[in-house]
Parts: sequence; C-alpha cells; structure tokens
Amino acid sequence: MPALSSTMTEGKIVEWLKQPGDRVERGESVLVVESDKADMDVEAFQEGFLAAVLMQAGGTAPVGETIGLIVESEAEIAAAQAGAPSAPAPAAAPAPPEPVAPAAPVAVAPAAAPAAVAAATLPVAAATAAGNGRVVATPRARKLASQLGVTLAALKGSGPHGRIQAEDVERAAGQPASVPRVAEGSAPFIAAGAPSAAGASASAAASASAAPAGQSFGRPGETVAFTTLQGAVNRNMLASLAVPCFHVGYTITTDRLDAFYKQVKNKGVTMTALLAKAVGVVLARHPQVNAAASEAGMVYPATVNVAIAVAMDDGGLVTPVLKEADRTDLYSLSRNWADLVARSRTKQLKPDEYSTGTFTLSNLGMFGVDRFDAILPPGTGAILAVAASRPTVVANADGSIAVKRQMQVNLTADHRVIYGAHGAAFLKDLADLIEHRPESLAL
Amino acid sequence: MNPLLDAIRFEPPAPVEFAQAWHWQQQLRERLLNNPAAPEALLLLQHPPCYTLGRGASTAFLRFDPQAPPAPLHRIDRGGEVTHHLPGQLVLYPVLDLQRHGADLHCYLRALEGVVITVLAELGLAGERIEGLTGVWLEGRKLAAIGVGARRWISQHGLALNVNCDLAGFEAIVPCGLKGLAVARLSDWCPGITPAQVQPLLSRACAEAFGLTLRPPEPTERLWGC
Repeated sequence: MPALSSTMTEGKIVEWLKQPGDRVERGESVLVVESDKADMDVEAFQEGFLAAVLMQAGGTAPVGETIGLIVESEAEIAAAQAGAPSAPAPAAAPAPPEPVAPAAPVAVAPAAAPAAVAAATLPVAAATAAGNGRVVATPRARKLASQLGVTLAALKGSGPHGRIQAEDVERAAGQPASVPRVAEGSAPFIAAGAPSAAGASASAAASASAAPAGQSFGRPGETVAFTTLQGAVNRNMLASLAVPCFHVGYTITTDRLDAFYKQVKNKGVTMTALLAKAVGVVLARHPQVNAAASEAGMVYPATVNVAIAVAMDDGGLVTPVLKEADRTDLYSLSRNWADLVARSRTKQLKPDEYSTGTFTLSNLGMFGVDRFDAILPPGTGAILAVAASRPTVVANADGSIAVKRQMQVNLTADHRVIYGAHGAAFLKDLADLIEHRPESLAL
Repeated sequence: MNPLLDAIRFEPPAPVEFAQAWHWQQQLRERLLNNPAAPEALLLLQHPPCYTLGRGASTAFLRFDPQAPPAPLHRIDRGGEVTHHLPGQLVLYPVLDLQRHGADLHCYLRALEGVVITVLAELGLAGERIEGLTGVWLEGRKLAAIGVGARRWISQHGLALNVNCDLAGFEAIVPCGLKGLAVARLSDWCPGITPAQVQPLLSRACAEAFGLTLRPPEPTERLWGC
C-alpha cells in the first residue's frame, strides 16, 4: 500500500485494474487506491505478471502492507500463489466490481474473506459481508483466516469497533490465541503518545487556541468515526500496552526558571523550547533514558531528538520533533518549534519531522493540571509528563517555611531499557538544572 | 519561494458537456505524462446538468434509479461520492503534476479548500472546513465539493463551487454521501452574484495557491477550435 500523503496511514483499494495472471507492463496502472476524496492509480514499477492479490477491492490496508505480488515470468505465478497464503484461487476469485454497478447496494463489493477453501466458502462469506456492510479485520487476521480456513464474515471481532483480530481467528480455528501482537502497521508513521485520554491536551506553545468550552468532535447522541489521524494515534496507544511501563515522579521548583524565562521571553524564547532544551541537555548525560527497546536489543540513538505532543484542534495529535535539542541553541529551538507547530496545524509536516523523536515531552501545564501520566510512544523509551508550576508552601531544609513555585513532572519509561534508578537519576539532574542553573540553557 | 510555474488557463465560453471536459483533462494529462516539462493547466468552466460518481462511490446515495437518471450520470476516476453539476456552478479542474507541489494528495485536497476559502474571503465571507470531510462550508451548509484523481501524480478533476445555480437538482442525491448536511450557493449570501464575477477570483486564488503563472493557450495547445 503506497503512501499518497504524509498523513496517510491506510488506504482503501477501490479497484484492481489487473487480475491475477494478467501481464503488467512497467508503468501500467495495476490498481486504484482511495484515501479521503482522492483516488490514485498505482502503477507497476517493473514488468511481469500479477501473481496474486492479497487484499481484495473494498479492503483497507495500512501503508506499507503487501497487497499484491508481481512476478517476472508466467512460470513463477503458481509458485507465488502457493507462497501467498491469502491469495484466493484464481478460479474462485470474485469478479472485480463493475465500474458501474448500480444493482449493488454497496458500490464496491466488500472484500470477501479470502478463504483457503475458496469455492465452498466464498459465496457464503460474500453474502454475510454484503448484509452488514463490510468485513473489518486486521491484515494479519485476514492472512490467518486464509491459512486456517476460517470464514471472516462469520466471526465477531473483539477489536475496536468489532474489528476482527488475529486472536479471534485463532480462537475460531480452535487454536490457542497467541500473545496479543502489537498493532499491525505500527510503522514509523506517526509516533504519538497521547498524554490524556480526554483528548483535551494541548501543546506548550499553542498558547491556547481557546476552545471556549470542552472540546467535542460530535454532537450528543452521535457516533463519530475516528479520523485517519485519530486512528493512527489509537494504534500507537494500543501498542504501548505491550510495553512494561512504570512511572516515576519528581517535584521541581521553578522560581529561577520562571525568572530566567521572563528575561528571555522578549527574545522569542518559549517555555516549550526551554523545557525541551533542559530535557535535551540532561538526556545527553543520561543516554540510557534516551534509549529504546527493540528485538535486537537496546537501541541508543545517535542524537537526542525531543518530540513534543501537540493536540490537533480537529482531533488526534502529532509529535513534532526538535532535533538535537541538546546541541541546538535556545533561540533556534524556539523558532523551529513555532515553525513545526504552524506546519503541523496545516498538516504539512514531513515524516522525518514527527517520527524521529527519541524522547517525548507532554505538557499540560497551561491548563493548571497538577499531575498526570503519559502513554509511551512506540519506538521510544520514555516520555515526560509536565504539569503546571504553581505557588506552593514549602518547608526548607533549615526548617523555615517559604512559598515557591513548583511543578510536578512524571516520567513514563519502558522498564526493559530504563530502570527506576536510571529514571530517578535523570529526574534529579533535570531538577538540579532547572532549579539551580537555568541560565546555562542559553549558552 | 519556488519560481512561478507555467500554466495554461482554459476558460470555455459556454457550458461544456462533462464527457468533453473529462476528455480534455485526459489530453492535458497525456501531455504531462509524455513530456514532464510540459506546462500545467487549469480548466475553469460550467457543465450542463449531470451527476458524477467517484470510482468507489455508492449508488446508495442516489435518490433515483441509476438506469433512468434525471440527468446524465457518469462514473469517473476520482475519489468521493456522488455530486451534481449544473450551470451556475463553477468547476475548477487543475491538471497539475503534483510532484511539483509536494506529492501529497491530502495536502492537495486541503489546498483546493484553501482556494475556495480565499475566494470567499475576498467576498467578505468566512468559509469553513469540517474535519474529516473534504469541502468548504458556509454557516454549516456545503458550498464547494471536492474530488480528485491522480495517475503518476498528475491530477484530474477538482472542485465545484455553487455560485447561483438552482439547488433543486441536489435533492435527487445525498451529496458526497453526507446525510443531513445542506447544500448552499454563494448567491444566498451575495445576491446577484454570477459565475462571471467569481471566475477571475477563482483562477487568481488557484494560481496563488499553487504558484502558477496563468496564460492563455498557444495555438498549438488549444483543446477546442476557435
């Protein structure tokens, strides 16, 4: 599934212009993909034969998913079909939807569950599917269904909005459900960890685009479909459930930081940039907290890239990245941030600008929040939730009482990479920098 | 800032049958496919009454028998659901090489909305986008419909802006498949406004949005004899 835009995470196959077995020339259109109100003809990059269609017309696949196989010679078609489990037997492949199909209640024939025992099950599957719209299943579930000979249309999905998951198929086939997999296609697309389930989060820099009351995406009584972006964020959040996270908090006195901010504010420095810089500088000294878990082991990124969660007014959130936050000067960081936020609102960020964070900041301080938990974005080891700085009565070490401005920060970390002691040492250094040497951030 | 791109503006003097305009777009696209340095083009015109369906559109949104439509019905190579064209509605069909404009179909859709919003702003109106839906609204009523198609990043189809057309024909369909969202026309806010007045605003806003220098066709570039 090709990406037709930087914000696209999945696409719908409107039509296969070629059928399995057909010859395709280089540059010839093979299928049509739709995303939003835009259609794109997708062409073959090489000549050969379309050996197998892995996702039928009407189906939706995440960007990057294999949807069909092209082989070089006619002789390889059979081999490719045998190796492609969900390719329906050519003889049983449902006819492609007619370009004009007035009789069909749904314009595009729903993806009939690709079934291994095709001839017998296909008509049944198609009938059920046509009755209630379409079969919604993850690509992995589809693949498994064809391998195990399970008819998807007969299943009740346990996923979001009844989506059929791989586990559902395994259960239906009488197999023990395997360990839940991280959501498919968690591709490096939008690395977004959502701080608040309420969706009322906002960026530090977005000095409140002042929603008059609580935001809502629908009216009472309605059910509103997730936007593509919201869907992408949902997938990333679900992925975090497979990560052993823990939280560690710290209270940081900000009087000195606030005073310094007042001095540099008129030079265009923002609090977001100050916090990103502070976090970046401390991360450079705590590479363990900048690391992430992967199958190969602990990944230590070459640079410190601080991503910051920004809620979109229209739902979902993105995490624009301040690259090399430890080495970039405060003024450039402030300018870069303003530019990133402006372009994220017009959805013009390049993948490189929102998916390369090595550590994430989420700030709800502007709402006066006193503490919160953030969800870990996939592919990173930690995210820091920053709450409001508020005047607090504090007992000093010498027993005197004072009023100081304090904020709570709360680190969510992947325990596979970052242990309690690592997180605590990082927070101690961060507090030390903010409490005693905020001026050094301007150096 | 990109240097301005050469683009041809085609403005047929009278309403053009849908099939004819579609054919012109295909011709213009072929030119761009065969010669990557070829100029881009804008078609600005009106259609006689007709209905069009996107390639994946559902006939469930037709309130008539597709075998016996009240006006010609075309299924065409764009995204989106059913829409209605008729005189008094301006359509803008940019045939652009989107690789010169960021190669991002969603950005392109947002840019087309931006073109309409710019035109409305010049008329003192504040057009709105609705998240998740493509198009431009005024006070909750849909004023402009958008649907595009692309092959090798060459765009076809585009936007339709209701200026002073009769809205009765929209009752035969669920426009863009959106139940309960009303359709509107510009003349409801600007009494007496005509397509001829809006046309130059639309072509200028489009040229600005995509960084185009518009010019009339050279004799060899003409689509129709005149």
